[in-house]
Amino acid sequence: QQGPASPGYGDMSGIANQMGNMSIGAQPAYGQPAAATHGAGGPPSSFLQTIDLMQPFNVAELDAPPPTINLPPNSSVTPSPNANCPPTYMRSTINAIPHSHNILKKSKLPFALVIQPYTSLHDAESPVPIVTDTVISRCRRCRSYINPYVSFLDHGHRWRCNLCNLTNDVPQAFDWDHVNQKQADRWQRAELNHAVVEFVAPQEYMVRPPQPLVYLFLLDVSYAAVTSGLLATAARTILESLDRIPNEDKRTRLGFVCVDSALHYFSINAETNEPSMLVVSDLEEPFMPVPTDLLVSLSACRQGIETLLSKLQDMYSTSTNSASCMGSALKAGHKLISSIGGKMIVLTATLPNIGAGKLEMREDKKLLGTSKESSLLQTGNSFYKSFAVECSKSQVSVDMFLFSSSYQDVASLSNLPRYTGGQTYFYPGWSAARTEDAIKFAKEFSDHLSAEIALEAVMRVRATTGLRMSTFYGNFFNRSSDLCAFPAFPRDQGYVVEVAIDETLTKNFVCFQTAVLHTTCNGERRIRVMTLSLPTTGSLSEIYASADPIAITTFYSHRAVEKALSSSLESAREALYSKLQELLVCYKKELHSTHSGMSAGLSFCSNLKTLPVLFLALSKHVGLRKSAQIPSDLRSAALCLLSTLPASLLTQYIHPKMYSLHDMPDECGLPNPETGEIVLPQPMNLCSERLQRYGLYLIDDTQNQFLWVGRDAMPELIGDVFGLPSVEHVKVGKTTLQVVDNEFNEKVRNVIDKSRSHKGRMVGSITVPNLYVVREDGEPSLRLWAQTLLVEDRSDGGPGMGLWLTGLREKVNSS
Amino acid sequence: MDIEAMKDAWAAQEEQDGARLSWNIIPGSRLDASRLVVPLGVLYTPLKEKADPNYIVQYEPVTCKQPCRAVLNPYCQVDTRAKLWICPFCLSRNQFPPHYKDISNTSLPRELMPQFSTIEYALARPAPAPPIFLFVVDTCQEEDSLKALKDSIIVSLSLLPPTALVGLITYGTMAQVHELGYTECPKSYVFRGTKDYTAKTVQEMLGIINPGLRPQQPMPPGQRPPPQMGAGARFLLPVAACEFQLTNVLEQLQKDPWSVANDKRPLRCTGVALSVAVGLLESSFANTGARIMLFAGGPGTEGPGMVVGPELREPIRSHHDIERDNIKYYKKSMKFYDGLAKRTAHNGHIIDIFAGCLDQVGLLEMKSLSNYTGGHMILTDSFTSSMFKQSFIKVFDKDINDNLQMGFNASLEVLTTKELKITGLIGHAISLNKKSSSVGETECGIGNTCSWKLCGITPTATVATYFEVAGQVGPPAHQQVAQKALVQFLTYYQHSSGQYHLRVTTIARNVSATTGDPTIGLSFDQETAAVLMARIAVFKAEVDDGPDVLRWVDRMLIRLCSRFADYRKDDPTSFRLEKNFTLYPQFMFHLRRSQFLQVFNNSPDETAFYRHVLNREDCSNSLVMIQPTLDSYTFDQPSQPVLLDSTSIQPTHILLLDTFFHILIFHGETVAEWRKAGYQDQEGYENFKELLQQPKDDARELIQDRFPLPRFIVCDAGGSQARFLLSKLNPSTTHTTGAYGGATQNAQTIFTDDVSLQTFMEHLMKLAVTGTN
Ligand SMILES: [Zn+2]
Ligand SMILES: [Zn+2]
Repeated sequence: QQGPASPGYGDMSGIANQMGNMSIGAQPAYGQPAAATHGAGGPPSSFLQTIDLMQPFNVAELDAPPPTINLPPNSSVTPSPNANCPPTYMRSTINAIPHSHNILKKSKLPFALVIQPYTSLHDAESPVPIVTDTVISRCRRCRSYINPYVSFLDHGHRWRCNLCNLTNDVPQAFDWDHVNQKQADRWQRAELNHAVVEFVAPQEYMVRPPQPLVYLFLLDVSYAAVTSGLLATAARTILESLDRIPNEDKRTRLGFVCVDSALHYFSINAETNEPSMLVVSDLEEPFMPVPTDLLVSLSACRQGIETLLSKLQDMYSTSTNSASCMGSALKAGHKLISSIGGKMIVLTATLPNIGAGKLEMREDKKLLGTSKESSLLQTGNSFYKSFAVECSKSQVSVDMFLFSSSYQDVASLSNLPRYTGGQTYFYPGWSAARTEDAIKFAKEFSDHLSAEIALEAVMRVRATTGLRMSTFYGNFFNRSSDLCAFPAFPRDQGYVVEVAIDETLTKNFVCFQTAVLHTTCNGERRIRVMTLSLPTTGSLSEIYASADPIAITTFYSHRAVEKALSSSLESAREALYSKLQELLVCYKKELHSTHSGMSAGLSFCSNLKTLPVLFLALSKHVGLRKSAQIPSDLRSAALCLLSTLPASLLTQYIHPKMYSLHDMPDECGLPNPETGEIVLPQPMNLCSERLQRYGLYLIDDTQNQFLWVGRDAMPELIGDVFGLPSVEHVKVGKTTLQVVDNEFNEKVRNVIDKSRSHKGRMVGSITVPNLYVVREDGEPSLRLWAQTLLVEDRSDGGPGMGLWLTGLREKVNSS
Repeated sequence: MDIEAMKDAWAAQEEQDGARLSWNIIPGSRLDASRLVVPLGVLYTPLKEKADPNYIVQYEPVTCKQPCRAVLNPYCQVDTRAKLWICPFCLSRNQFPPHYKDISNTSLPRELMPQFSTIEYALARPAPAPPIFLFVVDTCQEEDSLKALKDSIIVSLSLLPPTALVGLITYGTMAQVHELGYTECPKSYVFRGTKDYTAKTVQEMLGIINPGLRPQQPMPPGQRPPPQMGAGARFLLPVAACEFQLTNVLEQLQKDPWSVANDKRPLRCTGVALSVAVGLLESSFANTGARIMLFAGGPGTEGPGMVVGPELREPIRSHHDIERDNIKYYKKSMKFYDGLAKRTAHNGHIIDIFAGCLDQVGLLEMKSLSNYTGGHMILTDSFTSSMFKQSFIKVFDKDINDNLQMGFNASLEVLTTKELKITGLIGHAISLNKKSSSVGETECGIGNTCSWKLCGITPTATVATYFEVAGQVGPPAHQQVAQKALVQFLTYYQHSSGQYHLRVTTIARNVSATTGDPTIGLSFDQETAAVLMARIAVFKAEVDDGPDVLRWVDRMLIRLCSRFADYRKDDPTSFRLEKNFTLYPQFMFHLRRSQFLQVFNNSPDETAFYRHVLNREDCSNSLVMIQPTLDSYTFDQPSQPVLLDSTSIQPTHILLLDTFFHILIFHGETVAEWRKAGYQDQEGYENFKELLQQPKDDARELIQDRFPLPRFIVCDAGGSQARFLLSKLNPSTTHTTGAYGGATQNAQTIFTDDVSLQTFMEHLMKLAVTGTN
């Protein structure tokens, strides 16, 4: 009954092939290498292995794949190795699902899905199979999409839904190739072989013709933006990125509004291609100064756009205006693009201090570190919430690029990205005069503009009857109980959905299906569908053995952010601690007490070995840790990242990677002869004990890299790395490592570059980390900052790893 | 006293001073004064051009002490030995300034010579800025008319002195202020068309004041001090510096881009555009000469000052609507423009309105903008018309010194000797609310002040000033020398050359020593009186009902006649008028029938326009408006003036009618037939060709000097255009004059129910002699 198994995914040319042989041709799996073979890499999940947490912990285990999913044989309708969803796209906190809510409750483990529908900024880097014939078979009742886990009945004329059990007709087109007018082999269909597919949607999926890609730039031209070089850098970057902005269909439209105390619109006539400036100072209810030519075709008005961008800096070079009516600008921008939808990209270095959404300088040093601190992390003006909803309704997404050197109220401004599928990018103290700053922003911004974002998107997660999506986390607007709306769907964010078990699960496996209906930036309506199947169990030990520490940490990261905003930072930290304690107690009582006593130790299952250090790191993270020194803008920006980063980056953002460089093995820093990839040293535990006084280390949390130079670093080392005579000559601070003509310098640079590159990590990311040189004997604030990343150390922000575990052990033993 | 000699003296004096009086002998008593009926008034043309260039002197005037400030003049008593002069107005003795030490009876400064009763001081005080011209252009127009308008404006740039500052505001759905000083790209500030912006808001929004720095907004450390943000540097630049940029902007100017539905008028925010223009000038150039030149292609349909809604099915208001008080926007709009006009006038600025539209543009509502500020009002069908183009260019006429013939920021002050008090002024002015001993108790026109702001003045701009006699001030009967009453007009203005000037006119007229002096009647100037009364009638008509005004005109005429005519009581046949009164009833007859008081045949905009022009022109032009001239041409005779009467229509005659606003050539029936038959092109009919040509030549001559350019009409007897002529003629032959079923109607029969002049005169005589008045 089953068709021949195909060896792998069809390549792109095969898909476009008129012959319709969609799944022919080998192609490297699209999942993370270790995880793509989901079912081979991880430890057997049914086998619970207890370890003692008090024993030394190896950070390399943070990179371990999630526990294997042990599905019953022949669960999928094709034998395809790609039938189940790779963890990069969707992973669950537990990979064996309890039969009932009670068992789950007893386990104390969370049940949530970590979802990342896109794993790169561009389709070409991580293609998924595309079903182009617009034959989309869906369950009549639950509206799920046909997938590898349905079953066929009635001689293949009907299929039974794996989510709700309803029997549906198989479309005739499944067996007939309309293009070539011949019999087709349904077993070749991508949606029956692949857990992750994309359907080209027919007319019915469109409320209106697919919108073009629209970018409206809201550029701060106030004194701060001009003098910091933001305006010049932004204008130049846009100018140089015009060819990178997706515009395959030649429909992409751009608009520019400059903002100080007034709104400066630019109209570009397609015939004359000359920009002209229209200033509107009346902010009461922003209006369009002209009905046309403000949002112009990138193709038709290219010359005018280039003229404008190359003149922008000169136009405002004498500005002394320190006001910003960015809120009004947003309203005006909304008015300008709301009939189409699209992205508003805000680039600003000023607190919006006049007009709509006017914000106050709220920062109060006295509140930092107190229970009142979280009020600073909440929105200062309800405008940013209500307007966000308005934007979402009209398919307008907002990105914030924030550059203020003083208080900017990131907390308030970040609401717009949060509810519109956008992102907040924060560049504290940024200045174009510093090459590193200019390059970082330019690269990130350019990559941002090049990303193949999706438009007018909705995401829905369906699951087998008995399961219910209860809570959604991430940047979007939750339009109805299970529907998340994204005016624009970014490619560099992750989402978390908490799942509730409403009914006893009787099947031996359950399925989750995430569908993202969207318009590609080239004007095609598509649905990306991801189907994950997980076995069910009644055994607590199987559940524990299947638990995924990365997914769990990701879930609690979102929860902690929520708690920090709704309650306080302290309660967010406490919740983390008590959850960990609860799990350990549960483990001890329910799963370990039957085993040999290990009173001196702290027992936990080996697959969750990294959970304590992740929780410790999370509670000591800049977004959450106890401190009276962290400006609220920094905190808010960190909270934004904690609630949006895809899991693999998030893990490192919480628990940075540290590499010892001075003594790295010979093969490190050089390309692997087989893969060509630069080999990184083994990561180290994040504790200062491991730091040698003569050593050189790299600490990388994905946003910042610290090149740590020990106080007794040898002149030879300094000479090789920096080209300087001795450690005293090394300048600390933000920098770019200079090329010095020797192999070690090259290796160090290779390691730094490899570590900072998020490409190939199966995540979309525009981030170019800052690189700071830190001397152990150098500038204290910088050194202290780097040291806060050494989470196993004891610090003001919390206990060291040892104390943390001993404390837990005492609590667990006494419970 | 030889009255004819006196008349000659008055005429000479009038010519010298540009001032004509309704009565040239001042009654010595209040009683006599009260019996004048026509008030004592002066039509004064402050900038009247004078043949003798010596009237302009390059030194400062000698003035009486505070608060009088009268200027030394030929009527002062001068003691050349004591170096003293006695001010005739306040009777103070003033020492001459030191540099007048060489004064003697044979060596007098010009201002003391009788031929310099009008003198102009070019003051040492320069104007703070060159004259400013701010163009306010309606872009809701068809491409061809917008193009024509742009061309006219571009041409006008070459007529301005190179130092003159120019600016541009365009408007349609919104108003745009173009920053001509910005060179990176075309830049403009956009104001929504629906909002009433205050001056302060306008200035803030243009960044002229307080650029973006609202209070409580701290300056970031290390911030540069703000650069010069003044309007001058950005929005109003010397022609020489921005002609290229401005021409460019004008050439690029497109029709208002907002789409207009078929059943809608374009949205046109005339009010906002003007309000922004006024606010812009107010900020940096208050009390500096400036003209705002509005070019309106249609009515304001949005925002403050709108005169009609955008729905086409909603018609623009007519006189009937106004009479029935059935208009949506009228009062609000009037109030808006009135406020704006007052602000403008107080700033010393001028607003000209150029309308280029077949329909109305809202001149009625906007009239105070020009009326208060001495601006021009030009009503044309289109900016493509030569009427617009030539009138507009004429605004920039220059004098022999190549200076624009326009004065800016002018004010007028009137001083009187104790016999007279000023009661008011009718003309393009607003009150400066200055009280002095010269201010009378009653009020006629804009009264209760001795000083007015005129803003814009031209060599023909004429104001009517009215006076009352102060009381029993006549000299004792035994005094030999006739006492004189004096009026001094002080016109202070910014000359287009950039200097401030002060023109001083002092007029003196004898005060009658006797009660019931018959010479007073002989001193009556019926032409001046007609114009002075016409201005009062129009002034009244602006506030009163039409019929009330007509009754007032009648009543005044009857009273004047019963006072000054010769008759036996209750015997109309005995009624006789002196020569200098005979034309006056005719003037009043035509005034009653004129478009100034009979408004229903015109649109409210036209009425506003006609009245505007009447209020600025001099005596002779005004008389043409009141009673048009008619010349008749026929074979082998020189042309001759004929009665403005339907009997003047003859088949073999050509008539040339001049109503000031229209110049019309009318071909009698036969002439028209011949012309159509083409005789003028045939040999042997040269005299006919010549006959056709002659009125044309004369018309051209009339048109040439006329401002605004009159409408030129050529028509034939029986043609539809002939109604322009017929409406002006005295209907001595109407469709009702023939006996029932009698004479057949012919071309010259006028279909009207108006009474004829003959009937009017009969009634007048009857009423004048009944003695009830
Ligand atoms: Zn179903
Ligand atoms: Zn005096």
